[in-house]
Amino acid sequence: MSVKHGLLALLERGPMYGYQLRAAFDSATGGTWPLNIGQVYTTLSRLERDDLVVALPENDGQRPYEITGQGRAELRKWFSSPVKRGDRPRDEVAIKLALAITTPGVDVAKVVMTQRTATMRTLQEYTRLKTQPGELPWLLVLDAMIFQAEAELRWLDHCEASLVRYETQAVPEPADVEVPR
Amino acid sequence: MTVLELRDVHRVHGTGGTAVKALDGVSLIVCPGELVAVMGPSGSGKSTLLNLAGGLDSPTSGQVLVDGTSLQSLSRKQLAAWRRKRIGYVFQDLNLIASLTAAENVALPLDLDGVRKSRQQAEKALSEVDLDGYADRFPDEMSGGQQQRVAIARALIGERRLVLADEPTGALDSRTGEAVLRLLRSKVDAGAAAVLVTHDARHAAWADRVIFLRDGVVVDVSQRDQPEELLSTP
Repeated sequence: MSVKHGLLALLERGPMYGYQLRAAFDSATGGTWPLNIGQVYTTLSRLERDDLVVALPENDGQRPYEITGQGRAELRKWFSSPVKRGDRPRDEVAIKLALAITTPGVDVAKVVMTQRTATMRTLQEYTRLKTQPGELPWLLVLDAMIFQAEAELRWLDHCEASLVRYETQAVPEPADVEVPR
Repeated sequence: MTVLELRDVHRVHGTGGTAVKALDGVSLIVCPGELVAVMGPSGSGKSTLLNLAGGLDSPTSGQVLVDGTSLQSLSRKQLAAWRRKRIGYVFQDLNLIASLTAAENVALPLDLDGVRKSRQQAEKALSEVDLDGYADRFPDEMSGGQQQRVAIARALIGERRLVLADEPTGALDSRTGEAVLRLLRSKVDAGAAAVLVTHDARHAAWADRVIFLRDGVVVDVSQRDQPEELLSTP
């Protein structure tokens, strides 16, 4: 997700200035993705440049921004399009594990366990946050993080079982492998 | 004070060449207000640990103490009474008696000890799990989630402070399962101690501590962080 679409979605509620947008973003995401005010104003400038928002006259020293028709069209397009897997950040854990397996001298089982402990701990904390009252948008974001952590734990269990299977299989020495001619 | 303590517990099934180490030197302490989850692959020793903690099995060596008393120091009759008074079980298959009402099921451990006014205590226990008005229903007149609540009420009636739960949400859908865990969590927050065996990380995450067993050995322990620490993580 881009900050750009997040701000457009918030401006669809009505005109807001930078600090209001930051607070609304934090509230919607439960503070899990904190934005700094510099990011907010930089994004607003780009949105204004692309005619997706327009700056309104200053009010008490604050300049509110309003979404334009073009901005609404961009927002509708965003909501109606799926997020492609390829658009998401690469999974560092998967890459790290793949590299651990192919790097001499690395205790791969320990890498898996270290990650699992950390992910389990995170899952415990997310679950604790669930016991506190919250608005639906935040609870859904929290559920997403819980399910992602759970998926990672299941994948780590799978990795561990695969490693055990792999280690118990007889791996032929390179010299024993018949090379096709 | 410690409610449950396992001191260097070993449990070997069989002898000689066919001997299997189900638990291999496990030590564990569970205090009031603490929920400990036990995870691990099949055959890792989870159920053995729970059976030993509940006095349903005896260790080959080591000690199991509940409320400071070594279970091995008790005669079979004393152990049965101790279990009834101190330890509550919640199983995946519930083990409610079909011919008894919810209140009768919950009151059963007290009735076996000749406790007076057991019905009143059972109704109070049912009320604590949000089952007011269900006292006279039979298990087959209740949903799976309600039956599991009856099982939890039965596990915690009387002076019991230790709950041992073996996959208590296994037969329930995701939402009902979560409600059962919320209930277990709230009973623990109110002062009970509990050990939960589960294969589901989302359920284990309700615990204060998650221990991982493999081949009868504790290979890892995960403890909750402080929330501030989590939220400050980029």
